[in-house]
Amino acid sequence: MPSTLSNPLRLGLRQERVIAPQCLVIFGASGDLTHRKLIPALFELYLQRRIPSEFGIVGCARRPWTDNEFKEKMKVKLANKISGKEKEWQQFSNYLFYEPVDLQQSDHVLRLSKRLNEIDKTQATHGNRTFYLSVSPNFYASGCKALKAASLLDDPKKSRLVIEKPFGRDYSSAKKLNKIVQSCAQESQIYRIDHYLGKETVQNILVLRFANTIFEPIWNRNYISSVQITSSETVGVEDRAGYYESSGALRDMLQNHMTQMLAVTAMEPPGKFEPEAIRNEKAKVLQASKLADENKPWNCCIRGQYGEGGNTSNRLVGYRQEDGVYCNSTTETYIAAKVFVDNWRWQGVPFYLRTGKRLPKRLGEIVLTFKDVPVHLFESTIINPAPNQLVLRIQPNEGATFKFEVKSPGSGMKSRPVEMEFSYDESFGEPSDEGYVRLLADAMLSDPTLFTRSDEVEAAWKLYTPLIELMDNSPWKLPIHNYESMTWGPPESDQLLSKDNIFWRRP
Amino acid sequence: MKPQLTLQTPLELPHQEISNYLNKLWIAEDKDNTGANTFTLMVWQPAWLEQCLVQKGLVNSPITGNLSPEIIEVAKKFILDAGLPITTSLYSEELLDLLKENLSNIDFEDFRGQFFESSISTLNPRRLVTLAPTLNENSDIKTFVSAYCPLSDSSALKPICGDLVVIRGGAASITHKGLKIIDELSIDELPSWLWWNGSLDESPDIFEYFTKHGLRLVIDTALGSPNRCLKVLDQLTKSNKAINDLNWVRLKNWRESLAMIFDPPSRRPILDHITDIDIDIVGDHIIQALFLISWISDKLGWSFLRVERDKESTKIKFERINGEKISTSINPLPLGNPSIHLGQVIGLRIISKISDVPKNNTCVILGCESVECMRLEAGGMANMQLIEQVVPNSFSSSEYDVSKLLGSSRGNTSPLFENAIKIALQIFNGFNNL
Repeated sequence: MPSTLSNPLRLGLRQERVIAPQCLVIFGASGDLTHRKLIPALFELYLQRRIPSEFGIVGCARRPWTDNEFKEKMKVKLANKISGKEKEWQQFSNYLFYEPVDLQQSDHVLRLSKRLNEIDKTQATHGNRTFYLSVSPNFYASGCKALKAASLLDDPKKSRLVIEKPFGRDYSSAKKLNKIVQSCAQESQIYRIDHYLGKETVQNILVLRFANTIFEPIWNRNYISSVQITSSETVGVEDRAGYYESSGALRDMLQNHMTQMLAVTAMEPPGKFEPEAIRNEKAKVLQASKLADENKPWNCCIRGQYGEGGNTSNRLVGYRQEDGVYCNSTTETYIAAKVFVDNWRWQGVPFYLRTGKRLPKRLGEIVLTFKDVPVHLFESTIINPAPNQLVLRIQPNEGATFKFEVKSPGSGMKSRPVEMEFSYDESFGEPSDEGYVRLLADAMLSDPTLFTRSDEVEAAWKLYTPLIELMDNSPWKLPIHNYESMTWGPPESDQLLSKDNIFWRRP
Repeated sequence: MKPQLTLQTPLELPHQEISNYLNKLWIAEDKDNTGANTFTLMVWQPAWLEQCLVQKGLVNSPITGNLSPEIIEVAKKFILDAGLPITTSLYSEELLDLLKENLSNIDFEDFRGQFFESSISTLNPRRLVTLAPTLNENSDIKTFVSAYCPLSDSSALKPICGDLVVIRGGAASITHKGLKIIDELSIDELPSWLWWNGSLDESPDIFEYFTKHGLRLVIDTALGSPNRCLKVLDQLTKSNKAINDLNWVRLKNWRESLAMIFDPPSRRPILDHITDIDIDIVGDHIIQALFLISWISDKLGWSFLRVERDKESTKIKFERINGEKISTSINPLPLGNPSIHLGQVIGLRIISKISDVPKNNTCVILGCESVECMRLEAGGMANMQLIEQVVPNSFSSSEYDVSKLLGSSRGNTSPLFENAIKIALQIFNGFNNL
């Protein structure tokens, strides 16, 4: 039977929200993020006809490019994505502008302000603007101040400020940065982006939990024995050594992406699906979270760094041999931590979080392991009946798997585990949007639901403060364990769980 | 959601003074506050059924323009008491004609234009203008004005206020005097919408006035004779007017449910082999069914061939690009408890044949309830692979649907609807050639 590629009845059916006419100003337009994520996401929005005709994208960076040079550079960088859509790109590129700006120079920002006023007239964008700070985190504070000084953030209804992660380096710096940013703009104008929250599957956790009757009654300490949250990458540090050396896995992944997944998994049901209601619940759960042993954090955390690995045909160098990495670097490329959420719902349930580079698979998943049955009536085909598990796959092969026991075929009454599967691909057959597509649209729509609020960011830093202090003051207590590239981290990480008679899921 | 009443009692003013009064209103209150920077919504609000029931003393409450459950219940009882068929629609002319007989002169309050659902009020319309025609066609025009500030549970710094104007009177006085002030009431820099919350058959002059004034239109093609509705769509399409139709909006569940069935890639080949489609509707108002079949044929790339009508159904033939023919049929069904909305789709059956062996073929059934699914699966359908789903016809109020359009649309015709209209009009022209 010939197959139809896409569902023709689905085309045009989604009622997407309408983005109001506006100018999106990207600071750091010459950087990687702009051509790797932001412009592709905006082009995708354009292809989905979600960009209003009254629109402008103004790239800003220190390089003295012209509008046409910026357009050309983006065209070259996005060549793969444009291929076959040249006509659409041609039309889309009419929205692209460029203004050389050094955010430290007040006259540059004033010149930008004038340019934006001109663009408002030609593009009919009515002074409605979204400013995206895709610059080095060192410039977040001064960038906000510069925008404030040029009166570009004065109208809370017409100006929004998007800030990339990492937001601060620790609790105190995040608090300080929040204070500065909030002195320049109202909290309702500030969109702290965590692209994991833009992923369809992370949002699906909310739907799975709160749109179904069957999960919520068992989503607590009475039925769940442990939760594992994994985010693994097969790649190494690549060309980000400069940034990564000062960040490491804790600051790069654990404090933000992983902790946001924890918040979405553990939060209470919001009263209604409104931004503040959701963010209140997320903040509450983060404020209730703590390391399993705050006084002796080395008991609940394992750090690792990838060494050499691979095979003879593809030999991989260790982290310390990577370009730009200090030869005695103690930056962790792997981290695993055990966390408790101190509230009625989750008291005593361990949350194990792990993330690392050069692991065998690229994946993100949340595994909820349910408690054992009170009495084993049936003999299992394996040693013990496997506990029920709900696996929420964030990436790749997005979906969910529920593992449960059934009768093994045959004359006996033995049980064995089977898996019930939901796959986005099989059910919908269409790829979901990149996180940035969703989040950029949401910011331009002034919808902060999927952005982290100041108290969430601070609570997330506070959670890991004992670890950060230990790493800063007594790093030898939290040693870096070497692990072979393309393995599931250092063996010590397994011991973190085996103490509790639990094992990491082998995805 | 309960309707929200303006906090201020509307002030009756001579119609000549309305515009002037409104201009001064905001300056007097707060010179920095010029009201919400949103849109103007004009509503044609005849509420004939409610007016009749109130004036007949069958409903003892003010006229609000909202079709409340009490009004529906009283009207249905009246239908039975008057000996009309149980299948009679609340919007049937026969019912209205009966109700209009022997109207009493009892005093009643008319609050049309002062009630509006919170779904609309939370959008902060800058100006709400209600045209409230009275049963007495000769009554002179009365105009009322009021400011309002919708109550909101969000922590807005200060309320965002608007104003409302009610123009009440006989249709003739509205045409001659009311429309003159409409121009003055529109705020140039803000978009203006017209919600024609009545039959498209009535007051064509007033309707035409609005269509010529570039307003964003919200209509309901379930209200009005099918011929007139299709003619209106034809005219509006030809003159490139944007159309938002609540009758199309109410099809959303059907379109979504049908699309959902074919989301899994493994089911998509079924679409390439469709041979028959049956659509069951309540009563004989076929517009919504035409929209549904037109949308399906547009999405699947079928060409319209011809239409035939008999006493029981309307049969429409389409052709696939490879020359295969598709037979579709719209079947009106009399229901004891008819939907408030005329011609509402209650069942859809799609048969897809890839072989002469029934079990290799597929039958997709969508029904508004299990009984309808059972009806459609009769006749050997169960010998095929059967995909069934119940699509409950539970509707949000018209006000809610309108608020969704106001909040999410720029007033332009949805591309899906635009394409469906084109095919529906082809079929309509086919009727005329019969």
